[in-house]
Amino acid sequence: MHSYVRPNQFVAFKLPSDQTRIQKIVPNTQVFLGKYGTFPANQIIGRPFYLTFDIHETPGEPDSTHLRIVSAAELHAEHLIAEGEGDGDDQEPSDEASTMRTNRDTIDDRSTQKLTIEEIEALKKESTGAGKDIIAKLLESHSAIDQKTAFSLAKYKLRKERKYMKRFTIIPLDVSYLTNYMLQDKEAARTLEMRDEALGLLGCWGNVHHGGSTSFDMETVLSNPNGRYLVVDDTGGLVVAAMAERMGILYPHDGDFDDEQQDAHQNVPTTTGAQGEHDEEAQPTEGAPSRRNRRPQMSAQGNTITLLHANKQPNISLLKYFGYEADDPSDSHPLYTNFKTVSFMQLLDPNADSIYAQEPTEIPAEELSTYKSSKRSAYHRKRGRWMRVRRTVDEARAGGFDGLVIATLMDPSSVLKYTIPLLAGSAPVAIYSPNIEPLTEVMDLYSTARKTAFINRRRELVEQKATSDDSVDVKSELEEEFPLDPTLLLAPTLETSRVRVWQVLPGRSHPLMSSRGGADGFIFHGIKVVPTQEHIEAAGNPSRKKRKVARSDETPADSGEGVDVEMTV
Amino acid sequence: MASPFLTPGSHSQLNQLALLHLRRDQAIPTVLQLHDEDNAGYKEGKVTTTRFGSFPHTTLTGQPWGSQIIASKVDTGSRRGRGPQKKNRQLKRKADELTHDSAASTPAAEGTDSHSHSASPQAAVAAASGFLHLVYPTPELWTMSLPHRTQVVYTPDYSYILHRLRARPGSSIIEAGAGSGSFTHAAVRAVFNGYPTTPTSTNASADAAAAPPPPPPPSPSSPSTSSSSHRKRLGQVSSFEFHEQRVGKVRQELKEHGLEGLVHVTHRDVYQDGFLVGDAQTGTSPKANAVFLDLPAPWLALKHLVRHPASGAESPLDPTSPVYLCTFSPCLEQVQRTVSVLRQLSWLDISMVEVNNHRIDVKREKVGLEYEKVRGAVVFPKSVDEAVSKMRHVEENSRKYRELQQQLEDEDHNNNNSTTAATTTPVPASSGAAAAAAGPAKEEHAAPPSSNIPLYKQGRLVHRTEDNLKTHTSYLVFAVLPREWTAEDERKCRDKWPPHRVDQPMQTDKPKGRKQLKREQLQREEAEEQLQQKQQEEEVVGEKPADASEEA
Repeated sequence: MHSYVRPNQFVAFKLPSDQTRIQKIVPNTQVFLGKYGTFPANQIIGRPFYLTFDIHETPGEPDSTHLRIVSAAELHAEHLIAEGEGDGDDQEPSDEASTMRTNRDTIDDRSTQKLTIEEIEALKKESTGAGKDIIAKLLESHSAIDQKTAFSLAKYKLRKERKYMKRFTIIPLDVSYLTNYMLQDKEAARTLEMRDEALGLLGCWGNVHHGGSTSFDMETVLSNPNGRYLVVDDTGGLVVAAMAERMGILYPHDGDFDDEQQDAHQNVPTTTGAQGEHDEEAQPTEGAPSRRNRRPQMSAQGNTITLLHANKQPNISLLKYFGYEADDPSDSHPLYTNFKTVSFMQLLDPNADSIYAQEPTEIPAEELSTYKSSKRSAYHRKRGRWMRVRRTVDEARAGGFDGLVIATLMDPSSVLKYTIPLLAGSAPVAIYSPNIEPLTEVMDLYSTARKTAFINRRRELVEQKATSDDSVDVKSELEEEFPLDPTLLLAPTLETSRVRVWQVLPGRSHPLMSSRGGADGFIFHGIKVVPTQEHIEAAGNPSRKKRKVARSDETPADSGEGVDVEMTV
Repeated sequence: MASPFLTPGSHSQLNQLALLHLRRDQAIPTVLQLHDEDNAGYKEGKVTTTRFGSFPHTTLTGQPWGSQIIASKVDTGSRRGRGPQKKNRQLKRKADELTHDSAASTPAAEGTDSHSHSASPQAAVAAASGFLHLVYPTPELWTMSLPHRTQVVYTPDYSYILHRLRARPGSSIIEAGAGSGSFTHAAVRAVFNGYPTTPTSTNASADAAAAPPPPPPPSPSSPSTSSSSHRKRLGQVSSFEFHEQRVGKVRQELKEHGLEGLVHVTHRDVYQDGFLVGDAQTGTSPKANAVFLDLPAPWLALKHLVRHPASGAESPLDPTSPVYLCTFSPCLEQVQRTVSVLRQLSWLDISMVEVNNHRIDVKREKVGLEYEKVRGAVVFPKSVDEAVSKMRHVEENSRKYRELQQQLEDEDHNNNNSTTAATTTPVPASSGAAAAAAGPAKEEHAAPPSSNIPLYKQGRLVHRTEDNLKTHTSYLVFAVLPREWTAEDERKCRDKWPPHRVDQPMQTDKPKGRKQLKREQLQREEAEEQLQQKQQEEEVVGEKPADASEEA
């Protein structure tokens, strides 16, 4: 749980302008917030999240910068006062109408503000009160302030506050916040315009959750490792981060909850499933003393994420915000053991991969001891890498995954072709796409009509094979016509969610006037099933049974609804 | 007991919940058992009957999850016990059976009848038709198939809520208004990070609380987390519900689902008595990191969700972390009162949203003149060109027809005029020719030009919002309560982190990575080695010149 600012952690600063700035908090350094000010990082380390601070300083005096916590009452002051006034709003309507100000007499130009820009700049220089005095001056010198309605006055003040207040709120950088940051403050395209609501749905429909500790629960030990998820992620690691968050392996301090205020004793890895395994790999590390007693990278058995990537290296750059550097992961991070990467080429044709295919020749220990330390560690590194790749690739190819989550630039059907067979029965599939078309195509590939045609065609081929002696390759024949086996996925569904934000103020509640457009984000989901190889006739409700005879050639045009007679196998 | 929701394993097991998936929005939850607790009198033991046939549990147990299961021939008519079913259910079943038997071929039927009723369930015999898929339960499928007691919080809402509440493995969630239990299941999945270490004791207490139909005033033992290992906190859900019958049902369900150690259900009016587990005044605090209030008047419960309750009782919140809150109210007036009270109680980052979710239908829209006799297609020109060409044909045909008519008339005329009536033969010939001329054109239309394309690929792929649209579920109010921060805490922090200490006045370039550091280390080491070698050499070399100089 995020409870206080830890040293060397990335945190988000919410600024008065509603913009967000992300910074790593390094002890004994300065934090720069642009025009909103500068302060020593030590003044926020160890402090709780969600607090709002004002930056105070006396100009010209060194070390005078100090932060003041703005209390919640102060932050809500205006609303609380307005609400207090609102309590008496059961006045007679006539009375209200007479006192109600309108914008009839306001002057729509800048002449009403008597302070010049130079004067404001001078004020800013000598300001000490975190910008409050500037705003007070601005309000004072506004000639038509008394003509403003309460609403427009509030708006005016808010606008000025956004411009001049030296104020910020520290927010823990978690997946939800990072998603919004990427969407609004950075390039949304890098994360496929992923929204919070889509991530939530993706996680739920993908049934992504902690696989359970296997250390003390015998039953789960017996029932194979739990919680192995397969993911294809072209959002720079955002989806991986969201899944890791749901599985409790995202944050370096995941696992230690109590003694929060004390200096965190080193992280306890969340799963203990891999303990004692892969001793073979633990052995070669003996040469390097610093590597002893450490679990090798990507070695966890349960509660793991396996990322399939299109290029040689996966793009998981966003994981750096959670303390996981892609090119140099820290071995104390839970993802170090529980996050595995396999390229599509390694998955489909492992021997084409040079690391997988070429085993570095083993060197006996006696000979090794004569090596120079740098050469020895190079040997261990190579050997370790080969074993790691070998293990992860073989593991991925063996399949049996508990869920599949996809957010990709590639054609989803091409991904499904190779990943669906890797899933265990009843495992969910969830696909995100910023645009709907790739997913409608997937829906079409699993349409009832296509399923029926597939089953009929397969039966034909099987019968053909049985009668004729010449070998009919049922599988390849089918694959030619049907790129995906439509009988492997149950209940394919397409949906979309969109959150609408409201302003809630006494007498002034309404949805926000504008918000970000762009991609809506769509989610496809289904359940992997294992069809029997026997021929089964579907039983429908009797009214539809009449059509059973002719069904094969008059398949329903509607894809999902009301079709009781799903023909299968 | 492991829960099939969290750790389903690879195969279905006895006494665990399994879902029989019938169609997209319909799944039947059932606890797999060999013998029917209701003693419905099936020879095959416990049987679940669906519209797609009967499924004895012997055929469902021990199967890999996701398997397609074939229906069995079950004698539903002449049962011994008759079970607790209602009359119309029985009639329906009879009707089912009739259609079944008519549809079923009877090669294997004798086998079932010959056996007498025995204690052990009989082996099931596969029916000729009917199947379903056996899947393990997930909160999503459960939400779809659960027995409704109250309004249900559906997946689009709870997925977003749990994401925003930062409900993660190891969190502690308070849920008030357990209702039908859909949110409860989703919340357990979100916070789960292992089963309690002492399952027996927690089971016992949960059993004791759950067993009698009117459950006694809540007296569950302390939450398992307090006693569990020191290093890791286990996720848990504390659920409160003021409707006694619902409490009993929820407890029963959670027990069946193997979740009893992870959820503490308390029968309580939270407006009055707050959120402590156990006794309202002296009970243990759930130390919640997240709170979900699905109550008609959430603002009345908020007074208990503070760091220092006025009653002097322990706070139900986690003192070491921020607390995330969500309330779920259908009306704007409720939202306004809630938000107002939240502001008074110093909650921050208050926001209100609604989630608009809709499902999308995808189908192939077939419009065109070639789709005659195709179900679901619209026979209508698919383009202006097609419309024009069709019109041309129609025009052509009618022109030909008129010509023919004209010709006939002329011929009649001629025949009448001329005295010889010998040449009547051309008439049928010419009309036949006209018919022949019109014929191919018609056939051209009738034969679908796309007949070599399979039916499932014909038409245009279209999508649209599904017919049943939920346009409003509820408004969601979110807020955060930071952890408490006293002057004392601040002082300690200042001692530890000197407030004005800044080592590097300007941030230097990127901090060095571990690899970089390592490389530098190696370089240093090598440099040292070289240096040493050099020194040694120099020593050797140095000695010589020294000698030389001495010699000199």
